Parts: sequence; structure tokens; C-alpha cells
Amino acid sequence: MERIENHPILGETPKRKKVTFSYDGKMLEGYEGEPIATALKAAGVMAHRYTAKTHEPRGIFCAIGRCTDCVMIVDGKPNIRTCITPLEAGMVVQTQYGVSATPEE
Amino acid sequence: MKIERYDMIVIGAGPAGLSAAIEAAKKGLKPIVFDENARPGGQLFKQIHKFFGSKEHKAKVRGFKIGEELLEEAEEYGVEVILNATVVGLYPEKEVTVKIGDKVKHYKGDAILVATGASENMVNFEGWTKPGVIGAGAAQTMMNLHHIKPGNRILMLGSGNVGLVVSYQLMQAGCEVVALADAAPRVGGYGVHAAKVARCGVPFYLSHTIVKVEGDECVTGVVIGQVGPDWKVIPGTEKHFDVDTVCLAVGLSPMSQLLKQAEVKMNDTKGGHVPECDKHGATSVPGIYAAGDVSGIEEASSAMIEGRMSGTAIACYLGYMTEEERDSRIDELEKQLDTLRQGMFAPKNRGKLVEKTDEGIDVSMNLLNKGFVTDDEIERFPGVTHQKGIHPVIECTQNIPCNPCQDACKMGCIRIGENITSLPAIDPEKKCIGCGMCVASCSGQSIFLVEEDVEEGYGEVTMPYEFLPVPEVGDRGVALGRNGQYVCDAEVTKVRIAPAFDHTYLLTIKVPNDMVMRARFYKKEA
Repeated sequence: MERIENHPILGETPKRKKVTFSYDGKMLEGYEGEPIATALKAAGVMAHRYTAKTHEPRGIFCAIGRCTDCVMIVDGKPNIRTCITPLEAGMVVQTQYGVSATPEE
Repeated sequence: MKIERYDMIVIGAGPAGLSAAIEAAKKGLKPIVFDENARPGGQLFKQIHKFFGSKEHKAKVRGFKIGEELLEEAEEYGVEVILNATVVGLYPEKEVTVKIGDKVKHYKGDAILVATGASENMVNFEGWTKPGVIGAGAAQTMMNLHHIKPGNRILMLGSGNVGLVVSYQLMQAGCEVVALADAAPRVGGYGVHAAKVARCGVPFYLSHTIVKVEGDECVTGVVIGQVGPDWKVIPGTEKHFDVDTVCLAVGLSPMSQLLKQAEVKMNDTKGGHVPECDKHGATSVPGIYAAGDVSGIEEASSAMIEGRMSGTAIACYLGYMTEEERDSRIDELEKQLDTLRQGMFAPKNRGKLVEKTDEGIDVSMNLLNKGFVTDDEIERFPGVTHQKGIHPVIECTQNIPCNPCQDACKMGCIRIGENITSLPAIDPEKKCIGCGMCVASCSGQSIFLVEEDVEEGYGEVTMPYEFLPVPEVGDRGVALGRNGQYVCDAEVTKVRIAPAFDHTYLLTIKVPNDMVMRARFYKKEA
């Protein structure tokens, strides 16, 4: 999804530092300090995790850290709320299947 | 176990909590405020529209500016705000447990204010869990805080003020809102908010709900259908829209769990589970207070006043001011709060169909059913007059607590009077100079300047404009009516901006003179 570079009320979006991070083995770019979920959305990632029992996709829902739909595995730790966790250079972000990083057969 | 003690502990650094802490700090208390978020201000920083009310309610100031002012005031009075601090327990002994990072810390307060706000309600339908179905708050967070479009093509469910305001903000962010649906038979929010969305061409589907959301990995479409009196979808009425995002704005519920845990007496109301409070916000447990949305959903403006009332009451409870001082301050605040609770949208009118204004004028039923006032209906309101020369046309047709337009006009053309909810009326004896201050001051974007005869066969309409790119003088496009449909071709003849307009451009278009009372929006292409 497109980032907003200029806004009629908020003006120009402040320049921020670009960083790279890995998403399921691919290298992506985002801005340091923005929520991981924002960087993923800018890269077109919609599904953050798949539920344990019925393997349904889940993505950003509340964007304020309440609903836990957007949790992923970040630097090896599962259940990280990506909508409120700031992006850092070199982070390893993985789609979460149930609570693991590998899809079940 | 170490317990830290404070005079006053505030849970929640939103408009209510911060206001309470500031008010108490002014009297010499040293409050501490905990908030689970990384930034203070609650939802204020996502509110980019101009607020309603009067001067003392900071009317016509945008929400995020009010947030900045509140933070400055908090700093000035030395209010301590601890962020990323989730209060996980509140006990009747006025103890709180707070999770900060991986640690849980204990605090005890002589008084505690719970200002935890509200959480969004949800509805479920087939496919509601798919990525791309989001809350309206999420949309605001993404576009107004994190500078990313929530989606390209969006359907909004919910016609309350949140659904209307967020629909408009989505368009400001460059998204397309394909439709606005609500299962209720009538628009729930302010008519002026509905009108500014409708005139951009967004169709309103009242008595409609979502049947299902389509897509495998994420949303690719949505089906809505008309609901009958039994709230079930009438077969055959389904309509499909290609969308990538469905946004839910179906109400808020108080986040009152902590109060319940503290054994505060609770009431189960239509508006959620709320604490029983006196007018100062004191709950049934001595020393525990509640303010803002947690004690009943209202606007941020009311939350700030409620917070100040509770801060005052706590200062008195802890001996920092006399009861006389308290009562005089509370009286003053109560008057401010009372004016916000007047008019058609007053808490006592919630859910009721108000058919006439206080002035005895029939309310526009099209506004309630479709989001816009029709060309015939608009003529009966006191802000709408026909005059020679330039003059304001005020399409404010419901009694809402708001009066900045009256002060904005230095020529005295606009009259609301003592009662803040009265419909603005035009005084035809006073001469409009076309300065446009009223247009920019109207939080509801319902004021236009109209001049019927500018040149042979043509007149001009000046409208508030808050989109990018800003049109330029000489641009040719089309004028849309209140219903968002094409009315005529139009040429941009003036584009004005000034610091006092606060990012609202005044766009003047030239249209055939029989169209000046119909043209209400400008688009580059049809």
C-alpha cells in the first residue's frame, strides 16, 4: 500500500531513516521506528499470521496493540504485536503459523 | 515488596486523564499518569478535523493541535507521565499494579482517577477476520500517525460521527470510499459531517449491513444487503463492491474492567458497563474517580471538561483546596459541559428521531436517510438566504453545540445568539465583505459564499476545500451537488489560503447563475 508523502492537513511527511529488515527470508525496506506492521503494509504484506486450528490468515485489525491479530515472530520471539513494535535495522520478521515459524502439514 | 506512593494516580494519558492531572497539579498535587501506549494524548493525535463547540471548548481547533496544547500544559505544571506502562490491576485499597517492560511495579495513591477511555465495538459477518477488515481507529492510526494509506478502495460500515469523520479523512489521505453503509435506518452522526462526505460522491446505504467479505488471503470485495424490520438481510437486495478494505465504525464501549476489579458499583447501560459516579466523577469507592469515555461515551471535548472536574474534586478531597473553591470551579466547568450536552445529539436524545429543530423547522429527512439535504429542503433553514452581492449560505440544519461562525464574521452577518445550539441565521441588514472567515471557521464545512451575478449569466460559489492537489485558478472541472452528482461544468476563479484558515483552502468556482444554490463541490473530472 502507498505511503502518504503529502497530506492536506498534516503537510509533508517528515523524512526518516531507511532501514532494511528480513521478512520470511526476503529483504525489505522500512523506516526506523515506525511500527513493523506499517513497513510490511508498505511492502504489500497483508497476512501476518495463520491461526493454529483452522489456518486462516490474520492481518492488521486494531493497529493499537489490543487485538493481537497482527502478531508475528520477530527475532525468533513469537506473538510480537507488529502494530506497536518499532522497526529496527536488521530485524528478522517471520509469518507466524499457530505459534511457530513453519506451516503445519 | 516495594510500594511507591503518590497523591494522585491517573490511569490513561488521554484527554480526560491529562486534563485531570493538569487541574490537580495547578493546585499543588504531584500526580503520576500511566499510559500503556508509546505516546500520550489518547486518540487526540489521530483527530485532524476541527472540533465543534465554542471558544472555551477550543472549537475550530483541530484535535491534534488540542493534544499538543494539552501536552505543553502538562509539562508546564510538571505532570509526570509514564508511557508503555500498562495498569494490570486496581484494588479498592487504591493500589495499582503496573506492567512496565517485563516488570510489574506496585503503587499506592491517596486518590486514583481511571480515565481508560473506550474500545471499539465489532460486528461479525462472513469473512470479518480477513486481512483488510479493519477498525475505524486502525484506519486513523495508519493514515494520520504512520502516514500510510489503509487501503485504496474502502467500504465504511457505520454512520456515526466516527464513521463519517474517518470516511472524510480516508479521502483526504487519497483513498476512495466506495460506499458508507449502516444497518440503522438513519445517519447517526452530525448531518454536517454526513453532508461533506456525500457531496464528494460517496453513496450512503442506510438500513444496509454487510452480508459477507470476499477474498482468500485478504479482502477483494464486499457484499452488502438491505435489512428488514427484523434486522435480517432481505434476499435479492445484495450489492457487490470491489474493495481492498472494509472499515468498521460500529460504536465504542467503555473500558471499565479496572473499575469493576476495584469493586466500584457498576451500571449496565445501553452505552456499556459504566461506573456509578457523582457529578465530580467520584465512584462508590472513596478516593477512586472516573472521567472521560470510561464513564460513558462522549466527545473528547466533554472528556477534557470531565477530567478537569475530577482533578478539581480530587484536589479538594486531598485537602489542596476548600470546598467553596471546588464548588465555584466545578460550577464553571459544569456550565461548559452542559452546553456541549445540548441539542439534537444530547445524551438524552440518543437513538431518538428528532423531527423538528428547536426553531420548529422540519429536519431534512434526506439528510438522515441519504446523507445530504436536497435542493428544496435547504431553502427552509435560517442560514440560507438569497441576496444581491456576495453573502454566506450556511447549510447547518441541526441543533448542535457549535458557534465559531458567529465570532468569525466581523461584519455581524451571522447570528446564533446566547443558545449555542441554535441554528445560525443570516442578518440580511449586515453587509458581507466576502472575507471567507466563516467558511474556514465552520468545523462542519457547511458554510459557502454565494454570489449570484458575477458576470452575464454566471455566478460564483466559494467552498471549503481540504484535499490535495489544491486546484489552481483557471482549472476547469465539474461542480457536484449536495448529493455528489454532476450539476454543471465549473471554472476555478480564486484559491485562497491564510494562516487563520488553518489548512482549509477557500476555493471559488464560476458556474451558471442558476447553479449557485446547487454547486457544492468541485472535482477536476466527472
